[in-house]
Amino acid sequence: MPELMNHEEFRTALENAIKGRAATASPFSIAWANGTLSREQLCRWAENHYHYVGPFADYLGYVYARMPAQYTEAKDFLLANMYEEEIGGDRHTDLLIRFAEACGTTRERVTNPDNMSPTTRGLQAWCYAVAMREDPIVAVAGLVVGLESQVPSIYRKQTPTLRDKYGFSDEEVEFFDLHIVSDEIHGERGYQIVLEHATTVELQQKCLKICEIGAQMRLLYTTALYHDYVEQRLAQAA
Amino acid sequence: MKVTFHKGGAVFAEDVPDNSNLVVRAGVKKYPFPHLSYGCGMGQCGKCASRVLVSAQALPAPNWKEEKVLGERLGEGFRLMCQLWLSHDITLEQA
Repeated sequence: MPELMNHEEFRTALENAIKGRAATASPFSIAWANGTLSREQLCRWAENHYHYVGPFADYLGYVYARMPAQYTEAKDFLLANMYEEEIGGDRHTDLLIRFAEACGTTRERVTNPDNMSPTTRGLQAWCYAVAMREDPIVAVAGLVVGLESQVPSIYRKQTPTLRDKYGFSDEEVEFFDLHIVSDEIHGERGYQIVLEHATTVELQQKCLKICEIGAQMRLLYTTALYHDYVEQRLAQAA
Repeated sequence: MKVTFHKGGAVFAEDVPDNSNLVVRAGVKKYPFPHLSYGCGMGQCGKCASRVLVSAQALPAPNWKEEKVLGERLGEGFRLMCQLWLSHDITLEQA
């Protein structure tokens, strides 16, 4: 039977739940970091990624509404996260579209939900389901710790390639630069909230499980991008 | 690595890990929280602008966002803390 963990043990367990399933291990992420993706494949990534991250404030809005009123700091974190996504500076999705346009696609193609793969649709649906149905602390574990906290490590590997290999300008890759800072904060605050409020064995185990599933979902999403847009192209060329 | 921070007539000093971004640290409520003011974290609002009193020469050259937001204030020693990952002792001042 699992026992109640202290903060240090629980933090390590959360980190371990993500390890081995981190999206940096997906073939699409590796190909990106190595600079072997074409600009066309980067377009397809942007057209999918928009539909995963675009509704992030919506996901958090559901969690915010269900977060107990006495968890003031957790509620404030969610509100600040939503604000930063949408109106704190440039809207984050606008920066994603700026990158997409630099790759060669259009705003219309990026925002059109018909252009996302079934797997991306599955990830988006999972995010909505977690936000609407799980205990709000478990939802923070899934969406913020399981998904958002992975972003800085992914973009630290991918962004230098965008500049050095593809020749994108600083302004064109701003979407990636800003998330190295913002999601470092969001991910860590997510950890802090989960550590503070998951105070029963049952809640801690649910948080661990959803972190594991969240990491699997993101890995599935990026692996499917490789299958849909890289492998199929290689097969067609053969 | 020591970060010394002048704010409102008071001086605060604490060690932080190498390669720290002070806005990230303040965002997760570690020193220089609650002293450092910051906003968007993306080099647009300028709220994290701080004047570097010691070790300015050890910092990388200002990036395009700092040039855009700070303009002439760069020449007065101001930098955007959200854009810097620090690896040397530094002394800063924020109004």
